[in-house]
Amino acid sequence: MRPRGAAPGAGDVHTSVHSTVDEPVGTAARAVDDGLDDGLDDGLGAGVGAGVDAGVPPTAAQRRSAGRGPLVRHCGPLPLLAVALLCALGAFAVQSWWQAAGALAVQGLCLPLVVGDVRAALRRLLPLALAALSVGWSVVLAGDDPDPLWAALTAALRLLVLVLPGALLLGWLDPTEAGDHLAQRLRVPGRVVVAVVVALGRLDALADSWDQVAAARRVRGLGPGRGPAGRVRWAASTSFGLLVDAVRGAGRVSLAMDARGFAGDGADRRTWALPAPWRRADTVLLLGGTAVAALPALLRVGGAFLTSTT
Amino acid sequence: MPHLALRGLTVTTAGGRTLVRDVDLDVAAGERVLLAGPSGAGKSTVLRALAGLLEEDVEAEGDVRLDGRPAVPGEVGLLVQDPLDALVAPTAGRDTAFGPENAGLDRPRTWRQVARAHAAARYTAGRDREVRTLSGGERQRLALAGTLAADPAVLLLDEPTSMLDAATAAVVRSAVLDAAGDARGLLVVDHDVAGWAPHVDRVVVLGAHGGVVHDAPVRQSRPAPAGTGDLWWPGVPAPAPLEVPAGLLTPALAPAPTPGTGDGEVLRGRGLGLVRTRRGLRPRPPATVLAGVDLTLTAGALTPVTGGSGAGKSSLLSLLAGLAAPTSGTLLAAPALAGRRGRRAPHTWTSRELAARVGWVPQFPEHTFVAATVRAEVAVTASVLGRDPGRGEELLEVLGLAAHADANPFRLSGGEQRRLALAGALAAGPALVVADEPTVGQDRSTWAVVAGLLAAAARDGAAVAVGTHDARLLDALRHHGTTPVHLSGGVRAQVAA
Repeated sequence: MRPRGAAPGAGDVHTSVHSTVDEPVGTAARAVDDGLDDGLDDGLGAGVGAGVDAGVPPTAAQRRSAGRGPLVRHCGPLPLLAVALLCALGAFAVQSWWQAAGALAVQGLCLPLVVGDVRAALRRLLPLALAALSVGWSVVLAGDDPDPLWAALTAALRLLVLVLPGALLLGWLDPTEAGDHLAQRLRVPGRVVVAVVVALGRLDALADSWDQVAAARRVRGLGPGRGPAGRVRWAASTSFGLLVDAVRGAGRVSLAMDARGFAGDGADRRTWALPAPWRRADTVLLLGGTAVAALPALLRVGGAFLTSTT
Repeated sequence: MPHLALRGLTVTTAGGRTLVRDVDLDVAAGERVLLAGPSGAGKSTVLRALAGLLEEDVEAEGDVRLDGRPAVPGEVGLLVQDPLDALVAPTAGRDTAFGPENAGLDRPRTWRQVARAHAAARYTAGRDREVRTLSGGERQRLALAGTLAADPAVLLLDEPTSMLDAATAAVVRSAVLDAAGDARGLLVVDHDVAGWAPHVDRVVVLGAHGGVVHDAPVRQSRPAPAGTGDLWWPGVPAPAPLEVPAGLLTPALAPAPTPGTGDGEVLRGRGLGLVRTRRGLRPRPPATVLAGVDLTLTAGALTPVTGGSGAGKSSLLSLLAGLAAPTSGTLLAAPALAGRRGRRAPHTWTSRELAARVGWVPQFPEHTFVAATVRAEVAVTASVLGRDPGRGEELLEVLGLAAHADANPFRLSGGEQRRLALAGALAAGPALVVADEPTVGQDRSTWAVVAGLLAAAARDGAAVAVGTHDARLLDALRHHGTTPVHLSGGVRAQVAA
């Protein structure tokens, strides 16, 4: 399953784990490049100095493969997205608590393949646990079920089955790499892909911007008050300030992008600086993930079969 | 040879405001041209028009031609003012590859072009570096590389050195000049005519009321031509700081001289350190920003905070202004300035306590306006604290903003926004004034206002800390000042007196 055009080792998970990625990929690409002396040489005057790598660098997945971590690090973004989505859809088949518990148990068995840093994973799952509790609690309060506790347990577990795989898998998603794959494998239009990738990349800038706006408001005496109402008002007005700033920033970034050839049909005819290879690990994740996603449905069918025969 | 020609450009907003009136401009192949003009004269609009990237909601007349024909997208390369806006990818290599990708180059050519652009822009931090970890100078060179990678015939740069200290600016400037070479046309927008004059063939000056008021080579000996009074023309000394009426900026809470703390001491820091750790799902390794910095701010004195890009100036200033807590060391205000329960560390003060004591002018104040009109922006802090709003009104008069009192702060020109930010920070009478690079990229009249206000705040009894790399400002404020706090790599370095 070696994709066309990929550098040696890119298709094979096991060899690239043990090689230092930069070496083979870099030199291979340089060899290709040296044969290709084109008219661009005149353009930029200055030559490329010694020791500067002018070849195609390794992809994000190749870099991850070369490092340490759970097995899912070998996978590209598309199977991550697909499995997260399938698991969410599969959860709709959950009808009773034991189906959810069974699916959750299997998902739990898969955790070591996905979780590298246990504390980071727990931090990530905390909101999910709170959501599950609140869903269960609201089912108890609604109370129109003859057996409210079991109904609450089913609802809470269903939510966990629905969100748990996505919450953990999507942590491995690299936005730039996802853009490369969406555009090259699924033919999503370049304009859409670049817009989304750049927007995601600017979330960091948004966090910095929040800090600046919040600091400026605090030092002007407009900090959050003591009570919860005051805090909510403060958050609302700060968010508004941030929104104004973000919209203005978006205008400036789109100008910068257009100035670099993104305007006009550049966006739709563009190429992608890194390949989007489909590797063996991707197939494994897709198949395994589909099986896990199908589990609630299988349990439901199996349960119905058992009750009809007894 | 590509020759860029602009004829009869007039740009009007949908609201009927004229941004640019009747501008002609030529940039021949290999020619280096500086475009200058007072704040609000429409320099950035001219650049956008030349690049064919005017906003959609403006009316534009006139004609841009490259060798007598309309330019193809990518032939005219525009580098926007703030490198944070110019960079679009998380790693340096992928960012520079953006232009070649848009041009449809295949992978080996793309990466070869990336390597060439990095070499031409003298970007040396490596293509795998994460953009957010770069210093200001590296970031500016990477942004330049991104523009060069598209291989434009004409290079348009909007204030490429205004955010940088003198040494870094010189490196970036020579990278720009080398990259332009003999074949490419170069058009740079900057207030700093003196800095660029030795390196450019012509200086074109836009008038405040439209048109081109000057288009000729600069010679050091000749006097500045008419219409260029607001520009940093070579050989013209810095303007006199603005005269501010005495007592206008007297602190509302004066730190009474207290035995044992030194006379008029406002803030004392000992062994200040700051280690940044990034919260979030994908945490980053901790970075030491400051270590073991000692300093004392005194009432009535101005303390400059100097140092190269990335030396930790902004971080130190945000500690002094109570916006962040030091991770080591102690920072204590004078007992007279203590907040509730005797708290003396600025970061422990409540928002109101902080506002009653500290005036803060951030590096980019235009991001942080809090009110919908100029008058309300100046009055905000005083009205929260119940202090006299008259000072704000008087400050607007002194700074020449009274005519815009009902305007939205975002509608002001860059120089007016800077004045407004200072007025907002000073209107409530803070005992401690902290300003971060307050003169960067400002024309002479705004510069005079900034220098005058800072000097007046110190004269009237506030303690003033100013982070700056502006040698003119340091010079103008010298006799109000104490020994500068010079940072190097987050540590206070010794300067030869």
